Amino acid sequence: MILLRSPSRFLLQILQDRVLSGEKGMDIDCHTVEFDDVRYHIQFSMRNPKVMVLSVALPLPPPEAILYDGLPLGAIEAIKAAYGPVVQILDPPKDGFDLTMKINLTKLPPDEEQRNAILTQIASVREVVLGAPLKLLLKHLASKTVAPNVDKLVALVHRPNESFFLAPQADKVTIVYPMRFQDSIDIVLATSFLQEFVEARRTAALNNVPSCMWSPAPPLELKGVPADALNANAGFVTFVVYPRHVEGKKLDRTVWNLLTFHAYVSYHVKCSEGFMHTRMRRRVESLIQAHNVCLTCLTLQALDRAKSDAEKLKKLVHGGSFKRLSLKNEGN
Amino acid sequence: MDATARPAIVIDNGTGYSKLGFSGNSEPSFTLPTVIAVNESFLDQTELLNSANWIAQYNAGVMADLDFFIGDEALSRFRSSGLYTLRSPIRHGQVDDWDTMERFWQQCMFSYLRCNPEEHYFLLTDSPVSTPESRECTGEIMFETFNVPGLYISVQSVLSLSAGYAYLKSISDENSDPSVVSSGGLQERGELLPPEDSLDISRKVKEMYCYTCSDIVKEFKKHDKKPDKYIKHWSAIKPKTGVPYTIDIGYERFLGPEIFFNPEIYSVDFSTPLPELIDSCVQSAPIDTRRALYKNIVLSGGSTMFKDFHKRLQSDIKKIVDDRVAATNARHRVEVRSYAVWFGGSVAASNPEFYEVPAT
Repeated sequence: MILLRSPSRFLLQILQDRVLSGEKGMDIDCHTVEFDDVRYHIQFSMRNPKVMVLSVALPLPPPEAILYDGLPLGAIEAIKAAYGPVVQILDPPKDGFDLTMKINLTKLPPDEEQRNAILTQIASVREVVLGAPLKLLLKHLASKTVAPNVDKLVALVHRPNESFFLAPQADKVTIVYPMRFQDSIDIVLATSFLQEFVEARRTAALNNVPSCMWSPAPPLELKGVPADALNANAGFVTFVVYPRHVEGKKLDRTVWNLLTFHAYVSYHVKCSEGFMHTRMRRRVESLIQAHNVCLTCLTLQALDRAKSDAEKLKKLVHGGSFKRLSLKNEGN
Repeated sequence: MDATARPAIVIDNGTGYSKLGFSGNSEPSFTLPTVIAVNESFLDQTELLNSANWIAQYNAGVMADLDFFIGDEALSRFRSSGLYTLRSPIRHGQVDDWDTMERFWQQCMFSYLRCNPEEHYFLLTDSPVSTPESRECTGEIMFETFNVPGLYISVQSVLSLSAGYAYLKSISDENSDPSVVSSGGLQERGELLPPEDSLDISRKVKEMYCYTCSDIVKEFKKHDKKPDKYIKHWSAIKPKTGVPYTIDIGYERFLGPEIFFNPEIYSVDFSTPLPELIDSCVQSAPIDTRRALYKNIVLSGGSTMFKDFHKRLQSDIKKIVDDRVAATNARHRVEVRSYAVWFGGSVAASNPEFYEVPAT
């Protein structure tokens, strides 16, 4: 698995099981947490079998990212557009959550494929809600206009207390990520990974792909941003997205990939660490094998020597005892 | 929000199934078979330690080490394409193959649970007879590769305890052995089992058709007298050739679970039946606790879910004990047995004091 997938496997499993089990089933009350502090709480009770309640909590936004009513810009419209009559937003959301939705199972389309598509969309609620402002900006890019009332530089939240920045223009959108990692090994691995990332794009002639750059210092687009938002120990990654990257079906995938870029890098850093451990273990095994072979040889050699020494000693002892006996006899 | 404010992740890796989820929930989020399908078509099998293999892997595509699946997806990929080999990292309750285990955990965390391991405390489970070295290895992988903030490895039977029961006993992990007996028995009788599927089929057979009998001699007689009533058929399609086949399952239905009560069937190394083990364990406890212990015997784990297992166990223990104590009572709860260990872990980890216990 190279890319992180959009729908939450757990939510999808629960929704599909619920739809399949129909009249029977048990009450469900589950909490789940996803990377970057997104929490879900899904509830279902047999007293009300046609309805499920899903609550979502989003990561804590940093000061520069603006939320409207606790939700990113355009989130409510995006939900209504994506789910239609199946989902109803409950206001106010449950305690401790930013959004609560009531899913009406009777309003699901009867056709199985369409139904699965809607359930998958519901399980991708994270992408819909958090990615709403990003989608809005990229849609404007696709139509080659700039969204009205949008500042030159937009900060969107993607991790708790961290944001990434977009500079939208009519013909392209520049996206800058300050990359931060906690562990020192992670920082080193992430820096080399990102530098290779940039190299790969250059050398493999992937011309249709958004151009990307990496720099250890904040790029020019981030002028005027407060200093603590710019503190990045693994450098800054810049992507430039053109209209051809966001037309039609590509828009959703682009939104998801951009939204979870940091999680993606973090995942690959961990995979690389795992891979290195595998190599280290194999190397240790081969060294141990060589060591054992060496030891066996030495032991055999030592045993040989010991055996020959013992034989020499035996000859000496026997010879000595004969001598003593003969002496004794003589003495007698 | 730091790691102590988020629910801990509870992973119970068993020989057959792994249960993963978050603490505070009453059931695991995912239950998947502990298997992984790896793509090793580019490795030269005879010389695994050769450096040429690393070059081959690199040439096969830089992402070749990420080309693997776990759980049910692994089983279906293994069947549908000849490219993947199935590996089972846990044998007899203990981790055999650390590389595979590390990859398994990696997919569990990133693909199924979708969590960032740096943000959660972890509760893992271990067999009671595992070595300190294996626990060290687990800790090394968790801390070095995944950077978990805190880890607690607990013994499986202790967790079943926190699931609300009052008895402590480590039942030896013969989890996969009934499957082996059934598959061995089936193959001995000349049934044509496709070899790649044999362990999986015997697992399914075990889960569907096996039951515990009360008296083995009587069962043999019953089977011989009325074969139609007792012999079940299993039909499936061979994955490689697409030819349908059926196999008959007869004696294996009760012989599989019988190994708990007569281990000599399986191997001459083990000769103490389960009821005797339980009895000697209780007898070694202080005398005033024995009655309470007999009253509260807990069965947990997949192998204990055979039909009538508890009745047979109860009657066997009763026979042993009847001359000593007047009445015994084996009490057990049925619902949460298959993931009692996971549930116990969830309960333990949702306790606010849990966060002070793990090592960091």
